[in-house]
Amino acid sequence: MKYLITVIAILISSWIYAQTTISGVVFNSKKEPVVGANVYLEGTYDGSTTNEYGAFSFNTNETNTQTLVVSYLSYETFTMLGDVSYMKDLKIKLREDVNTLDAVVLSAGTFQAGDNSKVNVLKPLDVVTTASALGDFVGALQTLPGTTTVAEDGRLFVRGGDANETQIFIDGIRVFTPYYPTTNNTPTRGRYSPFLFDGITFSTGGYSAEFGQALSSVLLLNTIDEPDQEKTDIGIMSVGATLGNTQKWKNSSLSVNTSYINLAPYNAVFPNRNDWIKPFETVSGESVFRKKTNLGLVKLYGAFDSTNFEIMQEDINNMDGLYFKLKNKNLYFNGSYQGVLNDNWSIQGGFSYTHAKNKFNVGDIVIGDTENSIHTKLKFKNRINNRFKLYLGTEYFATDFKENFNDLTIVNETYGYNNNLLAVFAEADIFISKNLAFKTGVRGEYSALLKQFTLAPRVSLAYKTSEKSQVSLAYGNFYQNPSSNVLKFSQDLNAQSTSHYIFNYQYNADRKLFRAEAYYKKYSDLVKYSDEFPDFNSAFNNDGSGYATGIDFFWRDSKSIKNLDYWISYSFLDTERDYRNYPEKARPNFANPHNLSVVGKYWINDWRSQVGFSYAFASGRTYTNPNEAGFLNYKTKSHNSLSINWAYLISPQKILYASVNNVLGFRNINGYQYANSPDINGNFNRRALKPAADQFFFVGFFWTISEDKKSNQLDNL
Amino acid sequence: MKHLIIITTLLFTGFINAQTNYEKGMQKAFELWGSNNSIEAANLFERIASAETDNWLPAYYAAQINIISSFGEKDEEKLSAQLKKAQDLINDATSISKENPEIMVLQALLYTAWVAFDGANYGMTLSPKVVEIYAKAEMLAPENPRVVYCKAEWNMGSARYFGQDITPYCKDLERAVELFTNFKPETPFHPKWGKERATQISESCGK
Repeated sequence: MKYLITVIAILISSWIYAQTTISGVVFNSKKEPVVGANVYLEGTYDGSTTNEYGAFSFNTNETNTQTLVVSYLSYETFTMLGDVSYMKDLKIKLREDVNTLDAVVLSAGTFQAGDNSKVNVLKPLDVVTTASALGDFVGALQTLPGTTTVAEDGRLFVRGGDANETQIFIDGIRVFTPYYPTTNNTPTRGRYSPFLFDGITFSTGGYSAEFGQALSSVLLLNTIDEPDQEKTDIGIMSVGATLGNTQKWKNSSLSVNTSYINLAPYNAVFPNRNDWIKPFETVSGESVFRKKTNLGLVKLYGAFDSTNFEIMQEDINNMDGLYFKLKNKNLYFNGSYQGVLNDNWSIQGGFSYTHAKNKFNVGDIVIGDTENSIHTKLKFKNRINNRFKLYLGTEYFATDFKENFNDLTIVNETYGYNNNLLAVFAEADIFISKNLAFKTGVRGEYSALLKQFTLAPRVSLAYKTSEKSQVSLAYGNFYQNPSSNVLKFSQDLNAQSTSHYIFNYQYNADRKLFRAEAYYKKYSDLVKYSDEFPDFNSAFNNDGSGYATGIDFFWRDSKSIKNLDYWISYSFLDTERDYRNYPEKARPNFANPHNLSVVGKYWINDWRSQVGFSYAFASGRTYTNPNEAGFLNYKTKSHNSLSINWAYLISPQKILYASVNNVLGFRNINGYQYANSPDINGNFNRRALKPAADQFFFVGFFWTISEDKKSNQLDNL
Repeated sequence: MKHLIIITTLLFTGFINAQTNYEKGMQKAFELWGSNNSIEAANLFERIASAETDNWLPAYYAAQINIISSFGEKDEEKLSAQLKKAQDLINDATSISKENPEIMVLQALLYTAWVAFDGANYGMTLSPKVVEIYAKAEMLAPENPRVVYCKAEWNMGSARYFGQDITPYCKDLERAVELFTNFKPETPFHPKWGKERATQISESCGK
């Protein structure tokens, strides 16, 4: 009896410790063994590492149903639920993780700048280190292919589209008035400081269904999620001064930037072609507040600026020049939230409010206008798995625009419009494999102003042709309401539309990137009107149309030559359109066929300096010579500009920066203004439209003060 | 009585077994690591981490192995996969033990691996992050030898880059070596690495 009990006890204990052997082999989709994979029962110590044949075997005391996990770098983790006694001679296939670096990227039409994206064309820092850009993010993007050089304007003209066809978004929320106002012969700048953004996505066509009301292009700016440290930034420049401060708390942070620009001293030293009564002066301030919550991130962004100047501008019809005065106040507020709802769903929402007030005096005419706009957006993302992601969203735009007009005969004429628009969109990202992916979506919009519903499908696909190259195709329909200068006089119109067809090839290897992108763009329902500048008496219709086709090339190499980083962009554009008051189809004056841009940066370690240059070439632009028959019948000579810059690190926290735009002093001509009436010989006289100054010199000293004294002005380089 | 003893013994054996699984596992993992089987060691640490969901140490070591093997890695794809894995493990460890200076040091080392891989590209963006992490870790644990030593080594690197004097950091290193001598880890498995290298750099410092 005693023995029996002992035997039973031993049997029981050995039954308790009875071991099961789990074994099998792990291979990938190419049937190659995966070496070094971690195989184990979840929540236990029992497991093993696969050997050189991909085989594994281990013992376990666990019984019944367990989860077997197989994980390895760059593969999706495999899990299997089952009874351990059946886990023998398993054949396990690991799928490649589509989120790895070498997976295919849905990239047709887009340029990414950021640290996280897989294919970076620009780095955020390029905005401040590109010689010709002068710290303006728009200026840096103009060195990319697909843009055309319109030197006197400064805004983004993309693939035969005019500047109104590009929309700018901050944290996914629309910016209604992104540019500073300026005079006729001086390019504008983007209002927002490049230091507040860490990601820039510039799409020159075929973009996601999330974005609408843009015929040609969208520019997406993302503010920094979390600043690195507390600091104060001081900048003293030849044209003004800037002051910034960042404070951090446990879960939140606040960054404030202010700047004051006054061109009076600069104009006194370097006279220009304008006769200033009151030189350009602007005061601006912006701030970002960020707060992390348990499941998300709240960002509040606010910017205010006030600009004024007064000037006598050269004019062919006016011996004394044309008087022009401007006062502008602009307030922008943007709040956004992104967060996680549960394992699969995440949410993103936001709101923006713009208040813009302008007062112009042009000769005897006084115009005052006020724009109040809001945009709200709500977007859900469902990550069903790594290979299938679904996006759903809705957004609402409202603009209230009012203008007041006075001249010698008209007194206090007021007019305007309300533009309310509701949109819904749905989109899916589908990764068939690491080599093939689709994005497909649709966007519906209803405009209360135009009483019109539009439906815009978008599709793109990308296929990896080799380890380092891929091809992409994209197609999409895009709608945009007529611009403010039309809507304020007539609302009995339809949305304008384009279709994009894009083919893209990309080669990306070891800090060398080559892209070629061919496109065809068809415009329809463009707005036409009967006068040069639309007014109450103009007749409007939607009968305009046009096309744009071309090919863009981009090459960037940061590798071949030590410390040298350079890129080359070339765009060929063929476009004609019949819109506005055009009597026939013609190439618009903002669209030139050839644009070339070369940017280089060289780091000299011994001098702790970065020297850079930027060269831009643009072929001639069209203008109408009324002395000859025809419309837009002549072309200007081509545009050339070479800019150089030098940044010197005095110490880790102090930097000295100097740049010269158009260092060789090319005499560029942007077009011609002809007299309204002919002279006694029946000849229309003309005046060349030249930039306010051929060259621009800039010197600045920037100083970062932070507590640990180790922070780097390199960030600003 | 006999039965009781047998049963008690058996139960007790089982009990002991359950108790020491963690210690056995950790010991085994350190042995594997010591005998250059770092992949298997990392895998074992990961398995322990999956079983011990309230202990940050196994995830910490699994992350550390991935980070250490990234230094000197030339293949960007492999490096990025390893560091992504390490980041996930650091995130796991951090969610178990918040505001932990040891984990912060590891996070700083992860960024340093990127900077070491490609200074021109990652130096500008990640350096301020590293500086901030060390500043925070030092505030939490001014006497932690690894915080003092790793911070000093990082500072020496950037001072060399700017052609500045590195001697102020030699003092920090000397202090780190002193702190190492007096350092007592909380358990045998808590981090205690770094003394050798700190001593080595400290001895050659400024010479």
